[in-house]
This record gives sequence, C-alpha cells and structure tokens, in this order.
Amino acid sequence: MIEIPDLAAGGLAAGTVLAFVLGGGLLRSRRHRARQGEEIAALRTHLDGARQEIGRSADAFTAEIVHLANQRMPAEATRAAHPHIQVPGPLHPELAGTGLGAGLDSVLDGLLTAMAQERKRVDAAARAGMRGATRDIQAGLYRLQDVLRGMQQRYDDPELSQTLFALDHENEQSLRRAQVTAVVCGAWVGLAREESHLVEAVTGGQSRLVGYHRVRIHNHLEPGMALVSHAVEPVAIIVAELLDNALRHSAPDTEVTVNLERAHHGVSVTIDDAGVGMATDERAYAQRMVAGRDPILLSELGDPPRMGLAAIGQLTRKFDLSVDLSSPSPYGGVRAVLLVKNHLLSRIDPVERPPAASTPRSTRPEAPAEARPVPHTRTHTAAHTTAQPAAPVAARDSAVITHEPAPDGDALPQRRRRARADAVPAQAAAEPAAPRVRERTPEEAAAALGALQSGTAAARSALETEGNDPR
Amino acid sequence: MTGRRSGRPLVPAYLSTGGVARPSRNSLERLSVLTGGEHVPDGLPAARHALLKALDGGSLTVVETAALLELPVSAVRVLAADLIDLGLVSARPPVPLAALHDPDLLKRVADGLRALKQ
Repeated sequence: MIEIPDLAAGGLAAGTVLAFVLGGGLLRSRRHRARQGEEIAALRTHLDGARQEIGRSADAFTAEIVHLANQRMPAEATRAAHPHIQVPGPLHPELAGTGLGAGLDSVLDGLLTAMAQERKRVDAAARAGMRGATRDIQAGLYRLQDVLRGMQQRYDDPELSQTLFALDHENEQSLRRAQVTAVVCGAWVGLAREESHLVEAVTGGQSRLVGYHRVRIHNHLEPGMALVSHAVEPVAIIVAELLDNALRHSAPDTEVTVNLERAHHGVSVTIDDAGVGMATDERAYAQRMVAGRDPILLSELGDPPRMGLAAIGQLTRKFDLSVDLSSPSPYGGVRAVLLVKNHLLSRIDPVERPPAASTPRSTRPEAPAEARPVPHTRTHTAAHTTAQPAAPVAARDSAVITHEPAPDGDALPQRRRRARADAVPAQAAAEPAAPRVRERTPEEAAAALGALQSGTAAARSALETEGNDPR
Repeated sequence: MTGRRSGRPLVPAYLSTGGVARPSRNSLERLSVLTGGEHVPDGLPAARHALLKALDGGSLTVVETAALLELPVSAVRVLAADLIDLGLVSARPPVPLAALHDPDLLKRVADGLRALKQ
C-alpha cells in the first residue's frame, strides 16, 4: 500500500526531473536558434558580397563588350588596310587566358575572315570591270596602230611622217598602260604573236617607253635566238615595265643598260640603271610583287596604283618566267634580271627571217656568215634579178661561192642587191667612176639582153591587148 | 621572201631613226639609187648598220631598201641621209623617164649581138 505522502514526494520528484529535462531542452533549443541566426546573418552578408561581386563582373563584362565594339573591332578593321595600326587588347588583361577572353578574340577573328572575304569579292568585281574596259581600249588602240602604220607606209612627206611617228609612239605608250592594267586585272596579254627573235621582244618593249633613247641594248646572243610564240608578248611587257622602273628612277642624263646573255638554263635579260637604288624594304616589296605568289588586290596597289610590278608578278607566274631584283647594280642603281628558261626558247633562221632592222645586232662574231645560204651569186645578168638562180652562170663562174636558196614555190621574186664590187677591187680603186664593170662573155650579154627583150615584148603585148598605144 | 612577217611588227618604225622623220637632206626620192661603200664602221646605230648591210656594197633604190628592211620609206630616207652625211653611202637621183633608153633601139642592138654571135 502506497502512502499518500510518498506519492506526493514521488510526484514532486518526477515533476522536478521533468522540469529539469524540459528546462535543459529549452536551453538547448534557444542556443541552437541563436547559432542559426548567426549562420543566417553570415550567409546574408556572404550573399550581399556575392551580389556585389556579380554586379561588378557584369559591369566589367559590359565594359569589355563596349570596348570590343567601340575600340577593338574598328582598330582590327582599319588594320586590314593599314598594317601598322595596333589593335588594343582587352580592358582587363587578366581576361586573356579565360573563356571570355578567347570568346572575344574569336569575335575579332570572325570579323577578320568576313572582311577578307568581302574585300576579295569587291576586288574581284572591280578587276572584272577594269578588265572589260581595258580590253576594249586595247583593241581600239591596236586598230589605231594599224591605221598609223598604214599611213607611215603610204606617205613620205617628212612633216607628216614626223607627226605619224609621234602619234605611233604615243599610241604605244597608251597601249602599254592599257595592257598592263588588263594583265593586273587577270586578263590575258591580249595579243597573239608569232615566234620572234628575243632581241625583237626586248627592243619592242624598249619602244613603248618615253625615254627609250636612254636605253642601250647589248645583244650577246647567237643570232637566231628566239622566243616561242606565247612568250613573246609577256617578255616584251616585262622588259618594258622593268625598263620603265629603271628610267623613272634614274637621272635623265644616265643610260639604262640591257644585256642579253646566254645562261645555262636559258637566256638572261639584265637591266641595270644608275639611279638611286632601292631601300631594303622597297626591295623586299618589289621582290615579293614580281614573284607573283601572293594574289593581287587592287586596293593594295596604292593610289595611283603601281601596276608595273604587279603585272610582272602575274606574267612570271603564268608563263614560268622569273625576275630577280635582289642584287644591286654595279652602277649604283637597281639590277633586274629576267630569266627566260630553255623551254620558252626556240630558234629562227636569222638569214631567212632576220630580226627587225632597228634591233641591235649580236656582238658575237658572225662566224657562220660565210656559210649562210644567201643568194650571193655575183652575176651581172638581168636574169639574176628574178627568183630563178642563174644556174649556168654560177656553174661557169666556179670561183664564186653559191649557196642557192631552195627555190620556194610561192615566194615572190626579190631583188637582194646588185653586184658586189669585190671581184675587181683594184679596178674599183683605179676607176671610181665605173668600178663594177667586168668584161662580159657574149653569152652573158646575150642572156641579159634577151631577158630584157622578152620582158619588153611581154609588157608591150600586155599593153596592146588593153588597146593602148605603147608609145 | 619566205621570212616575211605576217603578224603585227614588234618593233615600231620610229625606233629605227630615234623618232626622227625629217631627213638631213631632201634630195632623196623613192627611186633614188643608194650605193653603199665596202666599209662598215663599228658603232653605227643598228638600223643604219642594217641599211649598209642591205646595200652590201651594191646599189638599191630607196624604196627597195625600205622593203628589204621592212621600214617605211620616210625612215629609210632619214637613215640614208645620215649615212650620206657620214660619207658611207652615195646617192644618185632616179633616172628620169625621158632619159630611159628606147626599147626599140635596145632590141636592135640585141638582135645585132645575136647576129654577131652566130
């Protein structure tokens, strides 16, 4: 049986214990709450910090984008035309290695690529336009040249001829400019030539310039050295442009020397001027241009455009020629060497088709001249003036060399020259009035007069059939 | 001539005389006969040298020389006049038509020679 007081005591005790327990729990929870409050405060501070941080980097990012748009992209665009311009880096150099920095750089790269493509497209369009225009101009100038040359043949009046010569020269210069522009714009040289003597191509190039009087050509090639047909006009253009540079950059009282020489791999055309020469960077630029490896952009040729070197570059690349500007000239100026390789060379018989009269003759001794198949029959007959060789006379006059040319079926008779006097040098000295008289055999005299007679008779009968009085 | 060029000439005519078309003398006509000397001096400009070589010590008319050199007559007149000034070439005026021999007379001479020969 449990006593009431015991029960009370027990209850009290239990109550006390409970109170303690509850008090402890309360205390603990209060402490916990305080700790959480602290944590929340700390997180809040942290959050504020992070917010500020994000705000700052957003500002920095915006500033970087604005910088990219306002500074770096225009600078990069300008640099495409003016390589000396510096493109500024990002505002915050620490971005360089990050993803953002790489992203910004790729924007610039994309811009560059797009710009380059657009430039090429615009340039190609400009070149196509120029090509069409210059082509027509060139054709017109060739027609003008034909007219001028026809007039030169037809009219002898000195004053008129003088004007015609001047016009022809002016026309050549215009033609040269139109042609060079067309070549730079990617066109073909515009004129098909036949196989020609190399010295003719060089002299032809010389004739297209204002200062052609100052050019001295020394031809050290064996006679008959020629260019295959498709290389003739390119070589003439290249020589003209190189000579133009040489004449332009040397004093008007100096000469420009051209030497044509045989090299192992072909023929070299060396052009020396006594001008001011080129600085190292100019030389490097010129060498790069004449090599023709880089594509040509009209916008890079300057204003006014410097077409000459660019045209040379186009031609050397297309026709497998090579031009070297790397060595200075012994005269102090620039030395330009054009090498025409063997596969572009050919041979023309210099007797059958001699080079033009104005071309400098070869300095090589004319050793094979004696064996030349020139109609050298020293006969004094009228029959000699026809295409048929006077065979009996030549046979009789055995002391005289005769290499007759192969009788050419469709060739017109051509009078070469009359009678060399070296058969009778002593007589010639003694009788200057009649140096070329040699005693004729009656057969020769008869042949001569017979030919004359038949010729006269033929002419007369022709006249008679026309019903005219021959007298 | 077998070697006659068919295309457009590469070297224009004015280069032969250095752009001069007025001869130093006006006596040369198309049919004037040029006679070259034997001596061809060194150092002559190319076209003048070519003219002397074309004459080769013999005689040709101006127009024939022009055809041989493939130059206009006006250029050959300048070149020839220069060479005459240098004493390397002599020129003779063309034979006037009136002074040409009577073909009839020549024919009779020829007949006479044939008769002699037989």
